[in-house]
Amino acid sequence: MLLQGDNLRREFTFAGKSITALAPTSVAVDAGELLALTGPSGSGKSTLLNLLSGLDRPTGGEVRFEDQPLSGFSDARAAALRNAAFGFIFQTPHLLPYKTVAENVALPCSYGGLHGNAAISERVSGLLEYVGLASHATHFPHMLSSGELQRVVFARALINRPRVLFADEPTGSLDADNAHRVLSLLRQESVAGKCVIMATHDAEAMRFATRRLNLDKFAYAKTV
Amino acid sequence: MPKPFEILLDSRDAWSSLRRRPVRSSLSALGIAIGVVALIAMLSIGEGAKQVALQRISSLGIDTVRVESAPPLNAYAGIDVANLSLSLSVADAERISAWLGTRGTLGYFVRNDEQLVAAASRRALVTVVGASADWLAAEALEAAAGRLLLPSDDARQRRVCVLGARLAVTLAASIAMPVRAGNQLCSVVGVLRPKGRLLTEGTGLSALDFDNALIAPFRTAPIPRRGARDRVDGMLVRLRSDASAQVPGVAENLTVILGDARRDVTNYRVVVPYALLNEARDTQILFQLVMGAIAGLSLLVGGIGVMNVMLSNVAEQTREIGLRMAVGATRARIISLYLCHASLLCLAGGVVGLGLGVAAALLVQVYAGWAVAFSALGLSLGPLSAVIAGLVFGLHPALRAAALNPALALRES
Repeated sequence: MLLQGDNLRREFTFAGKSITALAPTSVAVDAGELLALTGPSGSGKSTLLNLLSGLDRPTGGEVRFEDQPLSGFSDARAAALRNAAFGFIFQTPHLLPYKTVAENVALPCSYGGLHGNAAISERVSGLLEYVGLASHATHFPHMLSSGELQRVVFARALINRPRVLFADEPTGSLDADNAHRVLSLLRQESVAGKCVIMATHDAEAMRFATRRLNLDKFAYAKTV
Repeated sequence: MPKPFEILLDSRDAWSSLRRRPVRSSLSALGIAIGVVALIAMLSIGEGAKQVALQRISSLGIDTVRVESAPPLNAYAGIDVANLSLSLSVADAERISAWLGTRGTLGYFVRNDEQLVAAASRRALVTVVGASADWLAAEALEAAAGRLLLPSDDARQRRVCVLGARLAVTLAASIAMPVRAGNQLCSVVGVLRPKGRLLTEGTGLSALDFDNALIAPFRTAPIPRRGARDRVDGMLVRLRSDASAQVPGVAENLTVILGDARRDVTNYRVVVPYALLNEARDTQILFQLVMGAIAGLSLLVGGIGVMNVMLSNVAEQTREIGLRMAVGATRARIISLYLCHASLLCLAGGVVGLGLGVAAALLVQVYAGWAVAFSALGLSLGPLSAVIAGLVFGLHPALRAAALNPALALRES
């Protein structure tokens, strides 16, 4: 398995009380899969994504990437893994407002991956063409629509040729056309061999998944 | 630890981020600028004072002790001041010279300021000095033409003189030309190399412009003596170069010799340039301590302002921090980013402060008349201290940013 979570549990302590964000959950995904994490709000979809991607540490259980436990990774190694092997697409497009579209797409290269301005520039141009934004390279984020912003985020997620794409409600802020376009891109990446894990409660999005994992709050996840 | 090119990337991003909030950035940089202004002004005024002190001491001679007659300071009941000689005398000089032996040279002189001298049809108001031959050597005077005075000139009471460089030009005088001073003629035997003024400000010594002086042998100098022919206005002791460390001891003994001869009535003034150097150094240290404290406090207040702004920035950019961590930024790179942020903010303040500090120092020079001087070290210290303040006061916000949980940071609205 490419990525595996065993008995993952996440609790937060607030005002002396323990709050369960994710009940114990196990999941395993391989290359070429498009796994949809579904479930009602608060069931822990985003929490599970964060744990699988190393953005957060589980209270219990273990995440393994190619059989390597992430709990044993140093901060630098975990960051390098996120930079080289993972790509992220969020519900709200997070872009740096003072950087152009091209600069935002190239942001991960500041922390590793591609080297050299020419190579980065070529890769960025190719990705912007791939997501249909070749003419927007020098635009700033405030000049783009929500759908365009999400496609920029998509291009950024692919810049270092990741092996796993994490998408947290990627169509949550998009209209139907743009949502379809983003979902199609995700599917294309999955078909091309990437592992895609998507948290969603959008029925349309679920249709694009090769597999679904339904998280029901306070219950073990069920594969549908 | 981030590599240099990564720090460069972080600096570029930090600069872009600063430019997005020009008013906030400018105001926080202003606090640092004020600190740097104080620092630059302190250093330039301190450097100016140091150079003036060094020039003065160099002019007076570091290995010299100077004595001048002065009104009695400590005449007390039982001492009949009227019966005291109110001046130094040749006898005093001979006593000191005998004690001094081969450790150095002692010269003595008598002087009269603003005396009219004439050569042919030209006239000038000058200082006429009647000096022992050793005095010219002790003052390190050199002849540009002709010769200096010789001991035999005084012994044989020759009516000769040497002229200061500017005076020789004013009188259009040449060697062997007669010069009239008062009702006496003396023949020019030499012209001095330009020497400038004796820088006596603040020492209590009388000023003397060597370039506008006529110097004649002590006994034949055309100076109204008002009674005592052996009256001496001043003495100069110059120690041999290998004995210059003995300057304080010589000054002390010289004071004892003079005090013994006049029952401890101090009608003379002993000036030790070596001690002036120490006084100047002490004054400079005190001044720098006071100004350093002001500059330090200003930088502290400015730094706290920068820290406050940086904490606000971290709070506002929480999602950006989460995003950077998600795409591969290590905690070290987040620290680097915010340290670059704070350092650039402070550097901008430091550069502005440098300009304003130089302007403030020049204004002090023009309006207060204080000497100022700029050194490369002093000028670079302003921006450097600003960057250090940025690193110190930016560290806490940077650590706070790096400690964020990326998953939670990304959820921040």
